[in-house]
Amino acid sequence: MAVRSLTIAAAALAVLAASPAARAADLWGIEGEKAVVLKGKVVDLLCEIGGTCAPDCGAGRHQLGLVDGNGRLYPAAKGNTLFAGAVADLAPYCGKEVEVDGLVIESPRMHLLFVQKLKAPGDTEFRSAEAFGKAWEAAHGKADEWFRADPAVKAVIAADGVFGIKGLEPQP
Amino acid sequence: MLRRAVLSVPIMLSALSVDVHAAERVKVEGELIDTWCSVTGIMFAYGTAHHQCAVWCAVGGIPVSIKDKDDNTYLVLKVGDDDLSVANPKIVKIQSHEVSVDGELVERDGVKYLLVDAVADDKGIVNLTEAEYGVVPFGE
Repeated sequence: MAVRSLTIAAAALAVLAASPAARAADLWGIEGEKAVVLKGKVVDLLCEIGGTCAPDCGAGRHQLGLVDGNGRLYPAAKGNTLFAGAVADLAPYCGKEVEVDGLVIESPRMHLLFVQKLKAPGDTEFRSAEAFGKAWEAAHGKADEWFRADPAVKAVIAADGVFGIKGLEPQP
Repeated sequence: MLRRAVLSVPIMLSALSVDVHAAERVKVEGELIDTWCSVTGIMFAYGTAHHQCAVWCAVGGIPVSIKDKDDNTYLVLKVGDDDLSVANPKIVKIQSHEVSVDGELVERDGVKYLLVDAVADDKGIVNLTEAEYGVVPFGE
């Protein structure tokens, strides 16, 4: 009986581990981080905070966040593409409820949401929040590191250098 | 029923005004920062040492904030008439600069959001960090 129970439990755990809904976020070792599956409405921060509302949440021009069932607002700061945010992932779901699998960073300075995976209305499984990377590649072509190949980045660095001060060089 | 509905209108308007209009006029002086790296403490997130990384993150659409000398962090949602807060070229090119701005501060759930009127003063990068600009994260 005990063996049977263990077998069933092991099988159940295997199913849970394979299930997208049971996926835990990747921890980054950040102080105050908390792995979450957060359900909330996608909102335009400028609308929520400043009262300037656009029907499409700014169409990718505005920072976005999630309001959970308790009315708490989480600014979405990070997506799953290196050095990129989550606006491209969330913007198509303006005003709709989504599920985010990711990290909430509870810092004394502010809390932030890191969107690692997203389940949008109609999705049966979570998918990685990599819309920025895909959009960048569609616009600019393949690159090993988008952030080094991006023309806007190149223009700023070319103007003032990697230190942001023209003529300043690394010390020997 | 009608009476209850009429009575609830001022309450609803009042609740709405808390979210939308509880703004305070402020002047903020501080460094334009990459919010993610700064708040999470990932890498050395300030001044010259972090400038390149801060530009990458701002172009990637990570929110830009201003950190003042008292360690308050203000997430910038707009600058003047420009409502662009995702990769705004005007902000991207002055990442890591010490600035002074006037604007409206709205605090919600412990996060300070700033609606900036204009960048009144730009002192450039004054924070020569990591043993006086010796380190550039990710090199090259």
